[in-house]
Amino acid sequence: MNNQKEYFHAIKIVKENCTGCTKCVRVCITEALRVRNGKVELLNDRCIDCGKCVQVCPFNAIQTSADKLSTISKFKYKIAILSSSFAGQFSQKINYRAAKKAILQIGFDEIAEESMVTEVISSFIHDYVKRHPKIRPIISSKCPAIVRLIQVRFPSLLPNVIHLEAPMSALAYYFREKVRKEKKIAPENIGIFLIVPCAAQVTATHQPEGTYKNLGDGAISAQDIFREVMGKLQKKEETEKECDVFPKGLTWAISQLEAEQINSEQRERARTMAVSGIHNANKVLIKIENQQLETFDYIVMDNCTNGCVGGIFNIEDPFVASSRIKDMIRKGATKEFQTEYFQNLYHDGKMDVLELKPRPITALDSSIKNAINKMKQIDEIIKKLPGLDCSACGSPTCRALAEDIVAGKASIDDCIVLMRRNRQGKKL
Amino acid sequence: MIMSEFWYYRESKEPEAKKFMENKPEPDYDLSYSIGERDFVNTGKASSEIKLALKRLGVDNTILRRVAIAVYEAEINVTAHSRGGNIIANIYDNCVHVVFKDNGPGMKDINQSMEPGFSTADEMIREMGFGAGLGLPNIKKNADVLHIESQEGANTFLELVIFYE
Repeated sequence: MNNQKEYFHAIKIVKENCTGCTKCVRVCITEALRVRNGKVELLNDRCIDCGKCVQVCPFNAIQTSADKLSTISKFKYKIAILSSSFAGQFSQKINYRAAKKAILQIGFDEIAEESMVTEVISSFIHDYVKRHPKIRPIISSKCPAIVRLIQVRFPSLLPNVIHLEAPMSALAYYFREKVRKEKKIAPENIGIFLIVPCAAQVTATHQPEGTYKNLGDGAISAQDIFREVMGKLQKKEETEKECDVFPKGLTWAISQLEAEQINSEQRERARTMAVSGIHNANKVLIKIENQQLETFDYIVMDNCTNGCVGGIFNIEDPFVASSRIKDMIRKGATKEFQTEYFQNLYHDGKMDVLELKPRPITALDSSIKNAINKMKQIDEIIKKLPGLDCSACGSPTCRALAEDIVAGKASIDDCIVLMRRNRQGKKL
Repeated sequence: MIMSEFWYYRESKEPEAKKFMENKPEPDYDLSYSIGERDFVNTGKASSEIKLALKRLGVDNTILRRVAIAVYEAEINVTAHSRGGNIIANIYDNCVHVVFKDNGPGMKDINQSMEPGFSTADEMIREMGFGAGLGLPNIKKNADVLHIESQEGANTFLELVIFYE
């Protein structure tokens, strides 16, 4: 029943560093990790690249792999597209415009920002929501970990996911065409790199799932760019190049602001809600599946705390970064970015994406008859297990161990609590 | 005491559904839950778990959705309108049969309750977002078989069947 497709993951296990502590196993929402023979293993078809295991590992045994800055040298003309959360990484002492300008000194020819188009894309989302009154709620698709969570755990909700390009993908599309026309550079010589706050965005760039057509040439970690930028700023090297900033559009760094923007005063009312954190999203998705949230028009859902500001590649913690970004939005001047091009893209249907396909992992067998038998076997094993969900066996819960045993991937002897009970004559 | 009864069969499924209802074979697998009166904290647990069991069997998404909605609505009904009761899900390799039995107080007129918008819910229940009078019609819309028996002053029995294909 397991999907044969090979999935790309921006999460890599470094076995030498792993002590088999099972911290990661317990935190994984899709139960994609097991410790076997003292080392952690990643179940490729289950992993959604949320990165919670990376954050929780004390031994640096689970690492992320974003594209290196050096990869940009393969291209003649290099463009960086910044996630809105990047603006929250710099303290008050550092002017954001100066930080952005420094990116031009580390090898890029042009810089774009997600914030240039968040307003126009919010208006498309609002329009999409009004055009699909029978689907409620509609769920945002900007966060790749959420899209993948829905594919593997809630495939029945795939029609609820908005099938529209995200701002950074739309910008990649726009800049490839603009540079080709204006600078007469062949598309294959134009390198478009997303500066991303998380591992899921790296995965989405390398293996897009419908919603993300492969529009970027690579995804570089915000951390790496931050380090380079700080280096340039400390040396006080000035550049003559200029660049604009678009603070009013930084809204999409924070889930709550993204939801409020869809329901802005300029538009017809839409009932929106924002959910952040993968475990919170999971709870809300269960409610959506039960049709408990049909009164909501649009729900913004993000893997990380507060939204993209909580991404694991960020330097600053999500609360400080949120506060800074909110301040920038409040004080920032409105800088208009011409949106006619995007209006045309939207009306020509070029913002539409491929239909999202399920990646189900829950089924126990391809035949319902066999699956019922397995379910009974699992129940029998669960009765024998201690029910502590301690993960010491290497599976996340007693139920998961029972499932692994029935699937032939583990043995009841892996349960050390049972082993001790048996040795002590069931005294424990 | 007046007993009222309601039967519905989806037309396309009528022959096999009738055969099933006449024979009611032993289930291949079953799950059972009890529901406390106005226990809104735990309401939704039974429907979530029944849905998860069917997910594990590999039942199709569109069917899962129908089961989730129908069972959840019926679960809410028991929570909001009765003195508590219990749910049994009988799982087969071709369908799921879910039975709801409550401890009263029973319904006056089932046919009236089947009309969209009709509700006996009080203020508290409406404030919680329930009681819009769409529960039973929504169950009917998603079920292949719906059978309700009720007696005012006694209890209500509801059973539904949804086929996987």
